[in-house]
Amino acid sequence: MSSSTIQVTDSSELSAQTTSRLVLQMARRDIATLFRTPWIIISRSLAFIIQLFVFAYLISGLVISYPDYFRYYAVGAVVSTVASISFIIGYDIFEEAEEGLLDYLLTLPIPRREFIIGRALGGAVRAMIYTIPMFVIVAVLENFANPLSLIGAVLDLFLIAFGVTGLSITVAVSVRSANRFDVVLALLELAVTRASTALYPLNFLPAYVKVFAPFSPVTFAADSARAALTGLGLDVLGLVGLLAFVAIFLGLGATFYFRRLEGGVYA
Amino acid sequence: MIGFDKAGKRFGTLDAVKEFSMTIKDEEILGLLGPNGAGKTTLMLMMGTVYRPTSGKISVNGLDVVQHPNDVRKMIGIAFQDPRVDGILGAFDVLNWHLKMTTNLDKAERETRVEKVLKAVDLWEARNKRTWLMSGGMRKKVEDCKVLAQRPKIAVFDEPTAFLDVPSRLLMWKMIRELRDEGSTVIVATNMMDEAERLSDRVAIVNLGRLVAIDTPEQLKSKTKGGEVLELTLGDGQECPTDLLTQFSEVQDVTQESNKVTIYLSGGRLLLPKIVETLTNRGVKIDSVHLKEVTLEDVFLNYTGHRLE
Repeated sequence: MSSSTIQVTDSSELSAQTTSRLVLQMARRDIATLFRTPWIIISRSLAFIIQLFVFAYLISGLVISYPDYFRYYAVGAVVSTVASISFIIGYDIFEEAEEGLLDYLLTLPIPRREFIIGRALGGAVRAMIYTIPMFVIVAVLENFANPLSLIGAVLDLFLIAFGVTGLSITVAVSVRSANRFDVVLALLELAVTRASTALYPLNFLPAYVKVFAPFSPVTFAADSARAALTGLGLDVLGLVGLLAFVAIFLGLGATFYFRRLEGGVYA
Repeated sequence: MIGFDKAGKRFGTLDAVKEFSMTIKDEEILGLLGPNGAGKTTLMLMMGTVYRPTSGKISVNGLDVVQHPNDVRKMIGIAFQDPRVDGILGAFDVLNWHLKMTTNLDKAERETRVEKVLKAVDLWEARNKRTWLMSGGMRKKVEDCKVLAQRPKIAVFDEPTAFLDVPSRLLMWKMIRELRDEGSTVIVATNMMDEAERLSDRVAIVNLGRLVAIDTPEQLKSKTKGGEVLELTLGDGQECPTDLLTQFSEVQDVTQESNKVTIYLSGGRLLLPKIVETLTNRGVKIDSVHLKEVTLEDVFLNYTGHRLE
Protein backbone atom coordinates (compact mmCIF):
# COMPACT_ATOMS: atom_id res chain seq x y z
CA MET A 1 0.00 0.00 0.00
CA SER A 2 1.73 3.09 -1.11
CA SER A 3 0.48 6.61 -0.70
CA SER A 4 1.50 7.42 -4.24
CA THR A 5 -0.95 4.99 -5.76
CA ILE A 6 -4.04 5.05 -3.55
CA GLN A 7 -5.86 8.20 -2.63
CA VAL A 8 -8.21 8.83 0.24
CA THR A 9 -11.82 8.72 -0.91
CA ASP A 10 -13.27 12.14 -1.44
CA SER A 11 -16.77 12.36 0.02
CA SER A 12 -17.97 14.65 -2.76
CA GLU A 13 -17.07 11.89 -5.18
CA LEU A 14 -19.44 9.58 -3.32
CA SER A 15 -22.34 11.99 -3.48
CA ALA A 16 -22.54 11.25 -7.17
CA GLN A 17 -23.50 7.69 -6.33
CA THR A 18 -27.16 7.22 -7.08
CA THR A 19 -29.22 5.80 -4.27
CA SER A 20 -30.96 3.46 -6.69
CA ARG A 21 -27.61 1.87 -7.52
CA LEU A 22 -27.03 1.21 -3.82
CA VAL A 23 -30.56 -0.18 -3.41
CA LEU A 24 -29.82 -2.61 -6.23
CA GLN A 25 -26.47 -3.54 -4.67
CA MET A 26 -28.25 -4.23 -1.41
CA ALA A 27 -30.81 -6.40 -3.21
CA ARG A 28 -28.10 -8.20 -5.20
CA ARG A 29 -26.37 -9.11 -1.97
CA ASP A 30 -29.45 -11.04 -0.82
CA ILE A 31 -29.97 -12.56 -4.25
CA ALA A 32 -26.32 -13.64 -4.46
CA THR A 33 -26.65 -15.82 -1.37
CA LEU A 34 -29.02 -18.00 -3.36
CA PHE A 35 -26.50 -18.78 -6.06
CA ARG A 36 -23.89 -19.78 -3.54
CA THR A 37 -26.12 -22.67 -2.51
CA PRO A 38 -27.62 -23.87 -5.83
CA TRP A 39 -28.40 -27.26 -4.33
CA ILE A 40 -31.22 -25.61 -2.38
CA ILE A 41 -32.95 -24.58 -5.61
CA ILE A 42 -32.43 -28.05 -7.05
CA SER A 43 -33.76 -29.83 -3.95
CA ARG A 44 -36.74 -27.47 -3.66
CA SER A 45 -37.60 -28.01 -7.33
CA LEU A 46 -37.36 -31.77 -6.92
CA ALA A 47 -39.58 -31.63 -3.83
CA PHE A 48 -42.09 -29.58 -5.81
CA ILE A 49 -42.07 -32.06 -8.69
CA ILE A 50 -42.67 -34.94 -6.28
CA GLN A 51 -45.46 -33.01 -4.56
CA LEU A 52 -47.07 -32.29 -7.90
CA PHE A 53 -46.73 -35.67 -9.56
CA VAL A 54 -47.40 -37.82 -6.53
CA PHE A 55 -49.59 -35.92 -4.07
CA ALA A 56 -51.48 -33.60 -6.42
CA TYR A 57 -51.91 -36.29 -9.09
CA LEU A 58 -53.33 -38.77 -6.60
CA ILE A 59 -55.58 -36.28 -4.83
CA SER A 60 -56.94 -34.82 -8.04
CA GLY A 61 -58.09 -38.32 -8.98
CA LEU A 62 -59.97 -38.56 -5.71
CA VAL A 63 -61.54 -35.10 -5.91
CA ILE A 64 -64.52 -35.55 -8.18
CA SER A 65 -66.62 -32.58 -7.12
CA TYR A 66 -64.13 -30.02 -8.44
CA PRO A 67 -63.27 -30.00 -12.15
CA ASP A 68 -59.54 -30.16 -12.93
CA TYR A 69 -58.33 -29.95 -9.37
CA PHE A 70 -54.78 -30.80 -10.52
CA ARG A 71 -54.54 -27.50 -12.39
CA TYR A 72 -56.02 -25.64 -9.41
CA TYR A 73 -53.50 -27.21 -7.05
CA ALA A 74 -50.51 -26.74 -9.36
CA VAL A 75 -50.94 -22.96 -9.65
CA GLY A 76 -51.71 -22.60 -5.96
CA ALA A 77 -48.65 -24.65 -5.01
CA VAL A 78 -46.41 -22.23 -6.92
CA VAL A 79 -48.01 -19.26 -5.13
CA SER A 80 -47.74 -20.78 -1.66
CA THR A 81 -44.13 -21.77 -2.37
CA VAL A 82 -43.12 -18.24 -3.36
CA ALA A 83 -44.84 -16.94 -0.21
CA SER A 84 -43.06 -19.47 2.02
CA ILE A 85 -39.66 -18.70 0.57
CA SER A 86 -40.22 -14.96 0.92
CA PHE A 87 -40.34 -15.41 4.69
CA ILE A 88 -36.61 -16.33 4.68
CA ILE A 89 -35.50 -12.69 4.57
CA GLY A 90 -36.84 -12.22 8.10
CA TYR A 91 -34.64 -15.05 9.37
CA ASP A 92 -31.66 -13.51 7.55
CA ILE A 93 -32.20 -10.11 9.13
CA PHE A 94 -32.73 -11.53 12.61
CA GLU A 95 -29.54 -13.57 12.27
CA GLU A 96 -27.57 -10.57 11.01
CA ALA A 97 -28.71 -8.53 13.98
CA GLU A 98 -27.66 -11.28 16.38
CA GLU A 99 -24.27 -11.74 14.71
CA GLY A 100 -23.58 -8.00 14.52
CA LEU A 101 -23.39 -7.95 10.72
CA LEU A 102 -26.29 -5.51 10.72
CA ASP A 103 -24.17 -2.89 12.49
CA TYR A 104 -21.74 -3.07 9.59
CA LEU A 105 -24.48 -2.77 6.97
CA LEU A 106 -25.79 0.30 8.77
CA THR A 107 -22.46 2.07 8.43
CA LEU A 108 -22.77 1.94 4.63
CA PRO A 109 -23.75 5.17 2.88
CA ILE A 110 -27.30 4.21 1.99
CA PRO A 111 -30.35 5.93 3.51
CA ARG A 112 -32.28 3.68 5.92
CA ARG A 113 -35.51 3.55 3.92
CA GLU A 114 -33.69 2.63 0.74
CA PHE A 115 -31.75 0.06 2.73
CA ILE A 116 -35.01 -1.58 3.80
CA ILE A 117 -36.49 -1.43 0.30
CA GLY A 118 -33.30 -3.03 -1.01
CA ARG A 119 -33.56 -5.87 1.50
CA ALA A 120 -37.25 -6.47 0.73
CA LEU A 121 -36.61 -6.34 -3.00
CA GLY A 122 -33.68 -8.73 -2.69
CA GLY A 123 -35.78 -11.16 -0.65
CA ALA A 124 -38.62 -10.98 -3.16
CA VAL A 125 -36.44 -11.47 -6.22
CA ARG A 126 -34.65 -14.34 -4.49
CA ALA A 127 -38.00 -16.01 -3.83
CA MET A 128 -38.98 -15.47 -7.48
CA ILE A 129 -35.77 -17.07 -8.71
CA TYR A 130 -36.46 -20.06 -6.48
CA THR A 131 -39.96 -20.39 -7.81
CA ILE A 132 -39.54 -19.69 -11.51
CA PRO A 133 -38.41 -23.26 -12.34
CA MET A 134 -41.58 -24.54 -10.63
CA PHE A 135 -43.70 -22.02 -12.47
CA VAL A 136 -42.18 -23.13 -15.78
CA ILE A 137 -42.94 -26.76 -14.97
CA VAL A 138 -46.59 -25.90 -14.29
CA ALA A 139 -46.84 -23.67 -17.38
CA VAL A 140 -45.49 -26.40 -19.64
CA LEU A 141 -47.59 -29.09 -18.00
CA GLU A 142 -50.82 -27.14 -18.20
CA ASN A 143 -50.01 -25.53 -21.53
CA PHE A 144 -50.17 -21.94 -20.30
CA ALA A 145 -48.72 -20.18 -23.33
CA ASN A 146 -50.37 -16.76 -23.56
CA PRO A 147 -47.56 -14.22 -22.90
CA LEU A 148 -49.88 -11.69 -21.29
CA SER A 149 -51.34 -14.32 -18.98
CA LEU A 150 -47.87 -15.46 -18.01
CA ILE A 151 -46.78 -11.87 -17.31
CA GLY A 152 -49.90 -11.30 -15.21
CA ALA A 153 -49.23 -14.42 -13.15
CA VAL A 154 -45.56 -13.50 -12.66
CA LEU A 155 -46.68 -10.07 -11.47
CA ASP A 156 -48.96 -11.75 -8.92
CA LEU A 157 -46.08 -13.91 -7.75
CA PHE A 158 -43.80 -10.91 -7.41
CA LEU A 159 -46.35 -8.87 -5.47
CA ILE A 160 -47.04 -11.64 -2.99
CA ALA A 161 -43.29 -12.15 -2.59
CA PHE A 162 -42.66 -8.44 -2.04
CA GLY A 163 -45.49 -8.15 0.49
CA VAL A 164 -44.41 -11.24 2.43
CA THR A 165 -40.82 -9.96 2.67
CA GLY A 166 -42.25 -6.76 4.19
CA LEU A 167 -44.30 -8.86 6.63
CA SER A 168 -41.31 -11.01 7.48
CA ILE A 169 -39.09 -7.97 8.07
CA THR A 170 -41.79 -6.46 10.30
CA VAL A 171 -41.83 -9.57 12.46
CA ALA A 172 -38.02 -9.83 12.49
CA VAL A 173 -37.68 -6.34 13.92
CA SER A 174 -40.65 -6.55 16.27
CA VAL A 175 -39.74 -9.71 18.17
CA ARG A 176 -36.57 -9.73 20.26
CA SER A 177 -36.31 -13.28 21.55
CA ALA A 178 -34.88 -15.73 19.01
CA ASN A 179 -37.15 -18.58 20.12
CA ARG A 180 -40.26 -16.42 20.03
CA PHE A 181 -39.25 -15.12 16.63
CA ASP A 182 -38.92 -18.66 15.22
CA VAL A 183 -42.33 -19.66 16.57
CA VAL A 184 -44.11 -16.48 15.46
CA LEU A 185 -42.71 -16.57 11.95
CA ALA A 186 -43.40 -20.29 11.50
CA LEU A 187 -47.01 -19.86 12.67
CA LEU A 188 -47.47 -16.83 10.50
CA GLU A 189 -46.09 -18.63 7.48
CA LEU A 190 -48.45 -21.51 8.14
CA ALA A 191 -51.42 -19.20 8.60
CA VAL A 192 -50.74 -17.10 5.53
CA THR A 193 -50.10 -19.98 3.17
CA ARG A 194 -52.55 -22.59 4.53
CA ALA A 195 -55.49 -20.44 5.58
CA SER A 196 -55.97 -19.45 1.98
CA THR A 197 -57.42 -20.74 -1.24
CA ALA A 198 -53.99 -21.54 -2.65
CA LEU A 199 -54.35 -25.31 -2.37
CA TYR A 200 -58.03 -25.86 -1.63
CA PRO A 201 -61.11 -24.11 -3.04
CA LEU A 202 -63.00 -21.93 -0.58
CA ASN A 203 -66.06 -24.21 -0.49
CA PHE A 204 -63.96 -27.15 0.66
CA LEU A 205 -62.36 -25.32 3.57
CA PRO A 206 -63.56 -25.82 7.17
CA ALA A 207 -65.89 -23.10 8.38
CA TYR A 208 -63.34 -21.54 10.75
CA VAL A 209 -60.82 -21.17 7.93
CA LYS A 210 -63.42 -20.05 5.44
CA VAL A 211 -63.95 -16.86 7.49
CA PHE A 212 -60.33 -15.72 7.11
CA ALA A 213 -59.23 -17.30 3.84
CA PRO A 214 -60.79 -14.72 1.48
CA PHE A 215 -58.66 -12.00 3.12
CA SER A 216 -55.37 -13.85 2.96
CA PRO A 217 -52.84 -12.22 0.61
CA VAL A 218 -51.99 -15.68 -0.68
CA THR A 219 -55.66 -16.06 -1.66
CA PHE A 220 -55.45 -12.78 -3.59
CA ALA A 221 -52.30 -13.95 -5.37
CA ALA A 222 -53.51 -17.49 -6.09
CA ASP A 223 -56.93 -16.43 -7.36
CA SER A 224 -55.42 -13.63 -9.43
CA ALA A 225 -52.77 -15.92 -10.94
CA ARG A 226 -55.37 -18.58 -11.78
CA ALA A 227 -57.61 -15.98 -13.38
CA ALA A 228 -54.72 -14.73 -15.49
CA LEU A 229 -53.47 -18.15 -16.54
CA THR A 230 -56.83 -19.72 -17.32
CA GLY A 231 -57.91 -16.78 -19.46
CA LEU A 232 -60.49 -15.36 -17.05
CA GLY A 233 -58.82 -11.98 -17.30
CA LEU A 234 -57.68 -9.51 -14.71
CA ASP A 235 -58.68 -10.19 -11.10
CA VAL A 236 -58.89 -6.54 -10.03
CA LEU A 237 -59.90 -7.32 -6.47
CA GLY A 238 -56.99 -9.71 -6.08
CA LEU A 239 -54.51 -7.21 -7.50
CA VAL A 240 -55.79 -4.38 -5.32
CA GLY A 241 -55.61 -6.65 -2.28
CA LEU A 242 -52.04 -7.57 -3.14
CA LEU A 243 -50.99 -3.97 -3.69
CA ALA A 244 -52.52 -3.00 -0.35
CA PHE A 245 -50.70 -5.90 1.33
CA VAL A 246 -47.38 -4.76 -0.16
CA ALA A 247 -47.94 -1.13 0.80
CA ILE A 248 -49.02 -1.92 4.37
CA PHE A 249 -46.31 -4.37 5.28
CA LEU A 250 -43.47 -2.75 3.42
CA GLY A 251 -44.44 0.51 5.11
CA LEU A 252 -44.84 -1.13 8.52
CA GLY A 253 -41.63 -3.10 8.11
CA ALA A 254 -39.77 0.04 7.14
CA THR A 255 -41.18 2.03 10.04
CA PHE A 256 -40.48 -0.61 12.69
CA TYR A 257 -37.06 -1.36 11.24
CA PHE A 258 -36.19 2.31 11.11
CA ARG A 259 -37.21 2.90 14.72
CA ARG A 260 -35.34 -0.07 16.07
CA LEU A 261 -32.23 0.73 14.11
CA GLU A 262 -32.13 4.35 15.14
CA GLY A 263 -32.79 3.44 18.75
CA GLY A 264 -29.78 1.20 18.77
CA VAL A 265 -31.75 -1.54 20.45
CA TYR A 266 -29.71 -4.24 18.77
CA ALA A 267 -26.78 -3.41 21.00
CA MET B 1 -12.81 17.82 12.47
CA ILE B 2 -15.05 15.67 14.63
CA GLY B 3 -16.75 17.15 17.66
CA PHE B 4 -18.51 15.46 20.56
CA ASP B 5 -20.49 17.97 22.58
CA LYS B 6 -21.86 16.48 25.81
CA ALA B 7 -22.86 13.42 23.81
CA GLY B 8 -24.59 10.60 25.62
CA LYS B 9 -26.10 7.22 24.82
CA ARG B 10 -28.43 5.40 27.14
CA PHE B 11 -29.51 1.78 26.66
CA GLY B 12 -32.46 1.22 28.96
CA THR B 13 -31.16 2.28 32.36
CA LEU B 14 -27.50 2.02 31.43
CA ASP B 15 -25.53 5.11 30.42
CA ALA B 16 -23.01 3.64 27.99
CA VAL B 17 -21.69 7.14 27.23
CA LYS B 18 -22.38 10.22 29.32
CA GLU B 19 -21.63 13.95 28.87
CA PHE B 20 -18.82 13.16 26.46
CA SER B 21 -17.07 16.18 24.96
CA MET B 22 -14.02 15.90 22.74
CA THR B 23 -12.60 17.26 19.49
CA ILE B 24 -10.71 15.11 17.02
CA LYS B 25 -8.39 17.04 14.71
CA ASP B 26 -8.10 16.46 10.98
CA GLU B 27 -5.45 14.02 9.82
CA GLU B 28 -4.47 12.80 13.26
CA ILE B 29 -4.51 9.34 14.74
CA LEU B 30 -6.53 9.47 17.92
CA GLY B 31 -6.26 6.50 20.24
CA LEU B 32 -9.35 5.79 22.32
CA LEU B 33 -7.94 3.94 25.30
CA GLY B 34 -10.16 2.27 27.82
CA PRO B 35 -11.13 -1.09 29.31
CA ASN B 36 -13.80 -3.32 27.78
CA GLY B 37 -17.20 -1.76 28.37
CA ALA B 38 -15.78 1.76 28.72
CA GLY B 39 -18.00 3.01 25.88
CA LYS B 40 -15.42 3.18 23.08
CA THR B 41 -17.46 1.15 20.58
CA THR B 42 -20.65 3.04 21.42
CA LEU B 43 -18.82 6.32 20.78
CA MET B 44 -17.65 5.12 17.39
CA LEU B 45 -21.03 3.74 16.42
CA MET B 46 -22.71 7.01 17.36
CA MET B 47 -20.19 8.85 15.22
CA GLY B 48 -20.81 6.33 12.42
CA THR B 49 -24.60 6.98 12.67
CA VAL B 50 -25.41 3.42 13.68
CA TYR B 51 -26.67 4.56 17.09
CA ARG B 52 -28.43 7.85 17.59
CA PRO B 53 -27.14 9.82 20.59
CA THR B 54 -29.74 10.18 23.33
CA SER B 55 -28.26 13.51 24.43
CA GLY B 56 -25.77 16.10 23.23
CA LYS B 57 -24.41 16.55 19.72
CA ILE B 58 -21.85 14.93 17.48
CA SER B 59 -20.63 16.60 14.30
CA VAL B 60 -18.37 15.26 11.59
CA ASN B 61 -16.69 17.86 9.40
CA GLY B 62 -19.43 20.30 10.39
CA LEU B 63 -22.29 17.91 9.73
CA ASP B 64 -24.56 16.85 12.57
CA VAL B 65 -24.78 13.05 12.66
CA VAL B 66 -28.51 13.11 13.39
CA GLN B 67 -29.42 15.77 10.83
CA HIS B 68 -27.19 14.51 8.00
CA PRO B 69 -26.59 10.83 8.70
CA ASN B 70 -26.06 9.74 5.13
CA ASP B 71 -23.60 12.52 4.34
CA VAL B 72 -21.65 11.50 7.42
CA ARG B 73 -21.68 7.84 6.39
CA LYS B 74 -20.12 8.78 3.07
CA MET B 75 -17.05 10.03 4.91
CA ILE B 76 -16.59 7.19 7.38
CA GLY B 77 -15.31 3.65 7.23
CA ILE B 78 -15.47 1.45 10.32
CA ALA B 79 -13.51 -1.74 10.97
CA PHE B 80 -15.24 -3.54 13.81
CA GLN B 81 -13.65 -5.30 16.75
CA ASP B 82 -15.29 -8.61 15.84
CA PRO B 83 -15.10 -9.11 12.08
CA ARG B 84 -18.44 -8.32 10.46
CA VAL B 85 -18.13 -10.21 7.22
CA ASP B 86 -20.42 -12.53 5.28
CA GLY B 87 -19.02 -15.93 6.25
CA ILE B 88 -20.05 -17.47 2.95
CA LEU B 89 -17.94 -14.97 0.98
CA GLY B 90 -14.21 -15.03 0.37
CA ALA B 91 -12.00 -12.08 1.33
CA PHE B 92 -11.93 -10.79 -2.24
CA ASP B 93 -15.72 -10.70 -2.53
CA VAL B 94 -16.13 -9.14 0.92
CA LEU B 95 -13.81 -6.26 0.02
CA ASN B 96 -15.11 -5.88 -3.51
CA TRP B 97 -18.71 -5.56 -2.28
CA HIS B 98 -17.63 -3.13 0.43
CA LEU B 99 -15.98 -0.92 -2.21
CA LYS B 100 -19.07 -1.16 -4.42
CA MET B 101 -21.11 0.25 -1.55
CA THR B 102 -18.68 2.90 -0.36
CA THR B 103 -16.84 4.19 -3.43
CA ASN B 104 -17.44 5.17 -7.01
CA LEU B 105 -14.56 3.08 -8.31
CA ASP B 106 -15.11 1.11 -11.49
CA LYS B 107 -14.66 -2.66 -11.59
CA ALA B 108 -11.00 -2.57 -12.65
CA GLU B 109 -10.07 0.03 -10.05
CA ARG B 110 -11.87 -1.88 -7.33
CA GLU B 111 -10.18 -5.13 -8.18
CA THR B 112 -6.76 -3.47 -8.33
CA ARG B 113 -7.29 -1.90 -4.94
CA VAL B 114 -8.53 -5.14 -3.38
CA GLU B 115 -5.60 -7.06 -4.85
CA LYS B 116 -3.13 -4.51 -3.53
CA VAL B 117 -4.45 -4.53 0.02
CA LEU B 118 -4.83 -8.31 0.19
CA LYS B 119 -1.29 -8.80 -1.07
CA ALA B 120 -0.03 -6.29 1.48
CA VAL B 121 -1.50 -8.29 4.38
CA ASP B 122 -0.52 -11.63 2.86
CA LEU B 123 -4.08 -12.79 2.21
CA TRP B 124 -4.00 -12.85 -1.57
CA GLU B 125 -3.49 -16.62 -1.80
CA ALA B 126 -6.48 -17.15 0.49
CA ARG B 127 -8.67 -14.58 -1.26
CA ASN B 128 -11.36 -17.07 -2.26
CA LYS B 129 -11.46 -19.01 1.01
CA ARG B 130 -14.79 -18.47 2.73
CA THR B 131 -14.21 -16.19 5.67
CA TRP B 132 -16.01 -18.46 8.13
CA LEU B 133 -13.28 -21.04 7.44
CA MET B 134 -10.52 -18.54 8.22
CA SER B 135 -8.62 -18.22 11.50
CA GLY B 136 -9.46 -15.36 13.87
CA GLY B 137 -6.36 -13.45 12.74
CA MET B 138 -7.18 -13.80 9.04
CA ARG B 139 -10.75 -12.69 9.58
CA LYS B 140 -9.53 -9.70 11.57
CA LYS B 141 -7.22 -8.73 8.72
CA VAL B 142 -10.13 -8.91 6.27
CA GLU B 143 -12.13 -6.63 8.57
CA ASP B 144 -9.29 -4.09 8.77
CA CYS B 145 -8.75 -4.34 5.02
CA LYS B 146 -12.27 -3.08 4.37
CA VAL B 147 -11.25 0.34 5.65
CA LEU B 148 -7.71 0.15 4.30
CA ALA B 149 -9.10 -0.49 0.80
CA GLN B 150 -11.87 2.08 1.14
CA ARG B 151 -9.46 4.90 2.15
CA PRO B 152 -12.23 6.98 3.78
CA LYS B 153 -11.82 10.55 5.02
CA ILE B 154 -12.46 9.25 8.52
CA ALA B 155 -11.18 5.78 9.28
CA VAL B 156 -12.24 4.03 12.46
CA PHE B 157 -10.55 0.89 13.73
CA ASP B 158 -11.89 -0.95 16.76
CA GLU B 159 -9.08 -3.05 18.27
CA PRO B 160 -7.35 -3.33 14.88
CA THR B 161 -4.67 -5.77 15.97
CA ALA B 162 -6.68 -8.11 18.20
CA PHE B 163 -5.88 -11.74 17.25
CA LEU B 164 -2.89 -10.64 15.13
CA ASP B 165 0.67 -11.91 15.59
CA VAL B 166 3.50 -9.45 16.22
CA PRO B 167 4.67 -8.98 12.59
CA SER B 168 1.07 -8.50 11.47
CA ARG B 169 0.48 -5.96 14.23
CA LEU B 170 3.48 -3.93 13.15
CA LEU B 171 2.36 -4.10 9.53
CA MET B 172 -1.17 -3.02 10.44
CA TRP B 173 0.19 -0.05 12.40
CA LYS B 174 2.31 0.93 9.40
CA MET B 175 -0.69 0.77 7.08
CA ILE B 176 -2.82 2.80 9.47
CA ARG B 177 -0.10 5.47 9.66
CA GLU B 178 0.03 5.56 5.85
CA LEU B 179 -3.69 6.14 5.80
CA ARG B 180 -3.22 9.13 8.11
CA ASP B 181 -0.35 10.41 5.98
CA GLU B 182 -2.59 10.31 2.90
CA GLY B 183 -5.11 12.61 4.60
CA SER B 184 -7.44 10.42 6.62
CA THR B 185 -8.41 11.17 10.18
CA VAL B 186 -7.95 7.91 12.04
CA ILE B 187 -9.59 6.80 15.28
CA VAL B 188 -8.25 3.67 16.90
CA ALA B 189 -10.07 2.14 19.86
CA THR B 190 -7.85 -0.10 21.88
CA ASN B 191 -7.27 -1.51 25.31
CA MET B 192 -3.63 -2.21 24.52
CA MET B 193 -1.31 0.38 26.04
CA ASP B 194 1.53 -0.14 23.59
CA GLU B 195 -0.82 0.22 20.64
CA ALA B 196 -2.25 3.48 21.97
CA GLU B 197 1.21 4.82 22.77
CA ARG B 198 3.05 3.79 19.61
CA LEU B 199 0.32 4.44 17.07
CA SER B 200 -1.53 7.52 18.29
CA ASP B 201 -0.78 11.20 17.83
CA ARG B 202 -3.09 11.83 20.77
CA VAL B 203 -4.71 9.49 23.26
CA ALA B 204 -8.15 9.90 24.80
CA ILE B 205 -8.63 7.91 27.98
CA VAL B 206 -12.20 6.70 28.33
CA ASN B 207 -13.65 5.12 31.43
CA LEU B 208 -17.26 4.33 32.38
CA GLY B 209 -18.53 6.21 29.34
CA ARG B 210 -16.71 9.43 30.18
CA LEU B 211 -13.65 11.17 28.83
CA VAL B 212 -11.00 11.10 31.53
CA ALA B 213 -8.07 12.77 29.76
CA ILE B 214 -6.89 13.60 26.26
CA ASP B 215 -3.44 14.64 25.04
CA THR B 216 -0.34 13.33 23.31
CA PRO B 217 1.10 10.23 24.99
CA GLU B 218 4.16 12.27 26.03
CA GLN B 219 2.07 15.04 27.56
CA LEU B 220 -0.16 12.60 29.37
CA LYS B 221 2.88 10.92 30.86
CA SER B 222 4.61 14.15 31.78
CA LYS B 223 1.46 15.43 33.48
CA THR B 224 1.27 12.28 35.54
CA LYS B 225 2.81 13.24 38.83
CA GLY B 226 6.48 13.22 38.07
CA GLY B 227 8.38 11.19 35.56
CA GLU B 228 9.14 8.00 37.41
CA VAL B 229 7.20 5.29 39.10
CA LEU B 230 8.40 3.11 41.93
CA GLU B 231 6.51 -0.14 42.24
CA LEU B 232 6.80 -2.06 45.47
CA THR B 233 5.42 -5.48 46.19
CA LEU B 234 4.76 -5.86 49.90
CA GLY B 235 4.47 -9.00 51.95
CA ASP B 236 0.97 -10.48 52.25
CA GLY B 237 -1.36 -8.35 54.36
CA GLN B 238 1.11 -5.49 54.69
CA GLU B 239 -0.21 -1.91 54.66
CA CYS B 240 1.88 0.95 53.31
CA PRO B 241 2.14 3.97 55.65
CA THR B 242 1.37 6.54 52.96
CA ASP B 243 1.82 9.57 55.22
CA LEU B 244 5.43 8.63 55.88
CA LEU B 245 6.23 8.62 52.18
CA THR B 246 4.40 11.79 51.16
CA GLN B 247 6.55 13.77 53.57
CA PHE B 248 9.31 13.51 50.92
CA SER B 249 8.93 16.44 48.51
CA GLU B 250 9.82 14.23 45.51
CA VAL B 251 6.89 11.89 46.19
CA GLN B 252 3.87 13.09 44.22
CA ASP B 253 1.38 10.40 45.08
CA VAL B 254 1.08 6.92 46.54
CA THR B 255 -1.56 4.34 45.68
CA GLN B 256 -1.99 0.79 46.94
CA GLU B 257 -3.90 -2.04 45.33
CA SER B 258 -3.73 -5.20 47.50
CA ASN B 259 0.00 -5.70 48.10
CA LYS B 260 1.13 -3.56 45.13
CA VAL B 261 2.19 -0.02 46.01
CA THR B 262 2.75 2.55 43.29
CA ILE B 263 4.77 5.64 44.22
CA TYR B 264 4.90 8.50 41.71
CA LEU B 265 8.20 10.36 41.94
CA SER B 266 9.61 13.46 40.34
CA GLY B 267 13.36 13.12 39.94
CA GLY B 268 13.39 10.81 42.89
CA ARG B 269 15.74 8.14 41.66
CA LEU B 270 18.08 8.93 44.54
CA LEU B 271 15.20 8.65 46.98
CA LEU B 272 14.83 4.90 46.45
CA PRO B 273 17.15 3.79 49.31
CA LYS B 274 15.47 6.26 51.68
CA ILE B 275 11.99 4.97 50.90
CA VAL B 276 13.03 1.36 51.36
CA GLU B 277 14.76 2.22 54.62
CA THR B 278 11.77 4.16 55.94
CA LEU B 279 9.37 1.34 55.23
CA THR B 280 11.67 -1.34 56.57
CA ASN B 281 12.18 0.62 59.77
CA ARG B 282 8.41 0.73 60.13
CA GLY B 283 8.37 -3.07 59.92
CA VAL B 284 6.93 -3.23 56.42
CA LYS B 285 8.13 -6.32 54.57
CA ILE B 286 9.11 -5.54 50.97
CA ASP B 287 9.24 -8.46 48.55
CA SER B 288 10.36 -6.58 45.45
CA VAL B 289 11.21 -3.10 44.18
CA HIS B 290 10.92 -1.88 40.61
CA LEU B 291 11.73 1.61 39.37
CA LYS B 292 10.54 2.59 35.88
CA GLU B 293 9.53 5.48 33.63
CA VAL B 294 5.85 6.50 33.61
CA THR B 295 3.82 4.54 31.03
CA LEU B 296 0.31 5.03 29.74
CA GLU B 297 -0.72 2.29 32.10
CA ASP B 298 0.39 4.47 34.99
CA VAL B 299 -1.46 7.39 33.42
CA PHE B 300 -4.60 5.28 33.23
CA LEU B 301 -4.20 4.09 36.80
CA ASN B 302 -3.56 7.64 37.92
CA TYR B 303 -6.70 9.00 36.28
CA THR B 304 -9.10 6.16 36.97
CA GLY B 305 -7.78 4.60 40.16
CA HIS B 306 -7.58 1.13 38.64
CA ARG B 307 -5.49 -0.77 36.16
CA LEU B 308 -6.58 -1.39 32.57
CA GLU B 309 -7.49 -5.06 32.32
